[in-house]
Amino acid sequence: MGNIKVTVNYNRCVGSRLCVGFLPAVFEMNKDSQSSVIRADAATATELVQTAEQCPQCAIRIEDSETGEVLFPTADLEL
Amino acid sequence: MQASVLKDDLMAPEVVADPHSYYHNLRENERVHWNQRWKGWVLTGYKEVVDILRDPDHFSSDRMGYLENELTEQEREEIAPIFKVLKYWMVFRDPPSHTVLRMLLNKLFTPTAVERYRPMVRKIVQKALDKVVDRGKMEVVHDLAYDIPMSVVLELIGAPDLDRDKIKEWSEAIGVFFFIKADEPRRREIACEGITALVNYIEPIIAHRREHPGTDMISLLIAAEEAGQITYNDVLGTCVLLIFGGHETTMNLIANGTLALMQHPDQWTLLHNKPELIKKAVEELLRYDGSVKSTVRWAKEDIMIADKLVKKGDRLLVCLSGANRDPLQFPDPDKLDITRDPNLHVAFAHGIHVCLGASLARMEAEEAFAGMVKRISCPKLPEDAYLNYYPSVVHRALKNLPVTFHKL
Repeated sequence: MGNIKVTVNYNRCVGSRLCVGFLPAVFEMNKDSQSSVIRADAATATELVQTAEQCPQCAIRIEDSETGEVLFPTADLEL
Repeated sequence: MQASVLKDDLMAPEVVADPHSYYHNLRENERVHWNQRWKGWVLTGYKEVVDILRDPDHFSSDRMGYLENELTEQEREEIAPIFKVLKYWMVFRDPPSHTVLRMLLNKLFTPTAVERYRPMVRKIVQKALDKVVDRGKMEVVHDLAYDIPMSVVLELIGAPDLDRDKIKEWSEAIGVFFFIKADEPRRREIACEGITALVNYIEPIIAHRREHPGTDMISLLIAAEEAGQITYNDVLGTCVLLIFGGHETTMNLIANGTLALMQHPDQWTLLHNKPELIKKAVEELLRYDGSVKSTVRWAKEDIMIADKLVKKGDRLLVCLSGANRDPLQFPDPDKLDITRDPNLHVAFAHGIHVCLGASLARMEAEEAFAGMVKRISCPKLPEDAYLNYYPSVVHRALKNLPVTFHKL
């Protein structure tokens, strides 16, 4: 697997801080109290997907940046 | 300004019937308003509401702590049975103890995890509709909405055979303490009786599950207790919270959403023709007339909100339904538009206390609305019916919703 791209959808993030709780090396809260990615490579792809799954808003997107494959959210979870 | 705004009467019949006009009036005049009657700040603007909800460092949810300080010794003794349980509810706790419980339970309630209950919910909706489609009429709250969340909650705690009517009775008794019947003189006694009965009912189930663990929520909590992450009081309090909080709000969401769609037949037809809009439709129904109108926070220190100085210890009524109709955030906010996108509403609150059951409620509502628009025409209120809401500052709860329709 190549590099992993992690993005937060600011039209979805409600600032639950769950991602920061689970992976503090990857996420932090920004000035709007929404999540922001500080270091996507500080966790494995599996850990990133597991954390993205915990978001009540499906606001975190995990992609393989080389193949463009979306690892999370799955299509049925997209709005 | 409306008379009820001037009188600060949040329970005035016209406010209970139409909170949106009241909030609108307030938002236009004073987004951060001191309500002398309620003795706290009332916030109706999106920005202020979101800022408070996302800032647990300055705004506390420790309802029991603040309440305890206001009570006399005798009052404290009177409600000891309630306190003993409610102070362990994560909704009333601040970090760090909130965080431990939330992170533990969250995995049972993720968008992915709740999918396992979808087939069951779909069946319940089908069965409920089977019973009424030929009749051409139903009472939405009891014929459809009630059974969905109750069944899921019981499944979640691994006790599908619990006595639903008893649980409903006790939950209503506990509810008396919080929001409904604020004028009931025996409200504390009633709530104590309700919570004691519910605790007596649940404790043997917890004890049994300790001996025979499964994959349900109670087993997960017990395992965390045995690992020293949480206490027995956390286990018990959380079970009571989930049973109490797990069914009523979703039931009301389904009723309120049905009514909103009925009042906008074009949107009902649109959803019938384009069922793929269901997720967006549920978000819009949550925004338009969600089941929780407001939530409460306490200022941890003196702080400026907009142009007002809020003092340490002041309480704030954070109006979710007010924020959800703020024109600065939502263009044409009083219009129901099931294609609305983006739609970052606050119906489940924001921040660390965002509703744990949000994904569950969304899934249940999706199934209920998708099932209805597929099989029945846009319902109408019978001519002799009128809409009656429970008098509550917090809940947007219809007593019943009788409708007529024809089979599609």
